Amino acid sequence: MGFLESVTLYNFLRGPMVWVAFIIFFAGSFYKVYTLIKQAKGEKFILPFVSLKAALKSLMHWLIPFGSRNWRLRPLFTIVTFSFHICLVFTPIFLLAHNLLWYESWGISWPTLSESLADVMTVIAIIGCIYLFLRRIFNPTVNFVTFKSDIFFIMVCFFTFLSGFFAYHQWILPYRAMLNLHIIFGEIMLISIPLTRLAHMFYFFLTRTWMASQFAIWKTKDW
Amino acid sequence: MDTKTGEVKKEEKQKIVSKDFPEYVRDVINDPGLDETIKKLTPEKIEKAYNAVFGKLSSRIKGIIETCMHCGLCAEACQWYLSNDKDPTYAPVAKMRMTAWELINRQGKVDAEFVKQCARIVFTECNICHRCSMYCPFGLDITFIIGMVRRFCFLLGVVPQRMMEMNQAFMATLNQVWMSQNDYIDAVLWREEEGAPDFKNLRIPIEKEGAEIIWYPLAAEPKSGFYHIDRFAKIMQVAGVDWTMCIREGWDSSNMPMFIRDIATMQRIVKGLYENAARLRVKRMVLTE
Repeated sequence: MGFLESVTLYNFLRGPMVWVAFIIFFAGSFYKVYTLIKQAKGEKFILPFVSLKAALKSLMHWLIPFGSRNWRLRPLFTIVTFSFHICLVFTPIFLLAHNLLWYESWGISWPTLSESLADVMTVIAIIGCIYLFLRRIFNPTVNFVTFKSDIFFIMVCFFTFLSGFFAYHQWILPYRAMLNLHIIFGEIMLISIPLTRLAHMFYFFLTRTWMASQFAIWKTKDW
Repeated sequence: MDTKTGEVKKEEKQKIVSKDFPEYVRDVINDPGLDETIKKLTPEKIEKAYNAVFGKLSSRIKGIIETCMHCGLCAEACQWYLSNDKDPTYAPVAKMRMTAWELINRQGKVDAEFVKQCARIVFTECNICHRCSMYCPFGLDITFIIGMVRRFCFLLGVVPQRMMEMNQAFMATLNQVWMSQNDYIDAVLWREEEGAPDFKNLRIPIEKEGAEIIWYPLAAEPKSGFYHIDRFAKIMQVAGVDWTMCIREGWDSSNMPMFIRDIATMQRIVKGLYENAARLRVKRMVLTE
C-alpha cells in the first residue's frame, strides 16, 4: 500500500507515463486509420465505390438512438449502449478535475460538466459496464463468441470509472492510492485503444462507410 | 415397445460434436464432396490454401476482424439462427468465430476434420444474404468473410458435391447444365416453332447485330423450363422491342461459381456476357432472375 500511495509513483504516472499514453493513443490511432485507408487505396476496387452521401445517411441513422431497425428491436440494449458510450467518451473530456490538470500543465481549458452531473454520468458508465459484462455471461449467443480480450475491455473501463468515482468521493482506499490506481487504469485504456479492438471507435466510421456504399449500390438501406 | 422404438430413433439420429467447439452439435450428413475430399488433404496443402486466402490480410478483412466487438447483434438478422431456436452456433458472428477467426488464430495449422467443419458451416449454414450486415452496428461485411472461407475450402476441393458438380459444368461449358451449342440452338429454334401456332410471325432473333437489348436466359430455361423462351419472345414481340439472343458460348447468366468463390470461372462467365453484348453492339443486357 505504501508504494501505491507514494508521491514517486504519482509523479511517474503524472509525468512520463502521461506523455507515453497520449503519444501512443494519438500517434497509434492516426497510424492505424491511415494505414488502413492507404491499404484500401492500394486495393483499387474499394475507394471508387465509396459514396459519401450514402455513408453520411447511414452513419446518421446508426448514431441516433432508435434510428435504425436493430436499435428499435432492442430498446433496453440501445438505451444502455448509447448512454454507456456517451458517458465513456464525454465524461473524461469534460470533467472539471481533468480540465484543471490541463490548465495547470499547459494553461488551456474548456467548458466543463458540473460535478454532480459528472458523478451521475460516471455511475451510468459503471452500470453500462456491469450490464455488458452480465450480457457476456448470461446471453448464450454472446457468451459463445466472448474472448478473454472482450472481458479485458470491460474490466479496464469498469475499473477506470470505478476508481475515479471512489477517488472523487475518497472512499475505501486512501485518496492518493485510489488516484494512482485511477491513473494507471486510465493510461492502460488510452494505450490499448489503438492496439486492440477498442479501435472500433475510429473504425466504426470506416467500416460503416464501406457497407453503406455497398448497400447504396444495391439500392437498399442498411439501417 | 415404446422404449425399443425410442432406442432405434436414437441410433438413427446420430450426432456429430465438434472437438473444437463443444456447442456445435449437428446431425451426421454424408456428402462425398466433403467426406472423400478431406482424405486427400495434408497439412502443407491446408497451409498453402490458407496463405493464398488469408496470408496477407486485405483491408476489408482487417477492418472486420479489428472492429468486431462480438456483441452478437447480428444474430437476430440470421434466418438460420431464428429458425433453429436461437442456437448460438448459428449466429453470423459465431460462424465467423468457428471458421475464419480460428483459422487466423492458428495461422492455418488445422486438421482435415476442421476444414470439413468449416465447409459445413460456410456452405450449408449461411446463404450469403447480407442481412447480418444490415443489423451490425458497424456495418461489417460478415458474408465477405464467409465467402473467403468458402474460397479457402474451394481451393482445397472440400465443397459439397452438388455445388462442385455445378461448378465443373461451368468450367467445361460455361453453362450450368452441360448444354452444347448445338442443343442450345436447337432449343431456341424449337421454341420459335412451338410459339408459331399461338402467334403470327413469332420470331426469336438470334445473333442480331445492333439490337436494343440482348436477353441472357438461365441455363435451366433451355434445358427444362423451355416454355419461358417462347413466352419471353411473345412479350417482346407485343411490346415491340428490338431484341436478340446470342448463341455463342457465354449465354448463361447464372453465376454459380460465385457461390463457391471460384474467381477464375466467375470472371469467364461475366466476361463472356459482356463480350457477347459488345460483339452484337446491343444497348442493354436483360438477365433472367
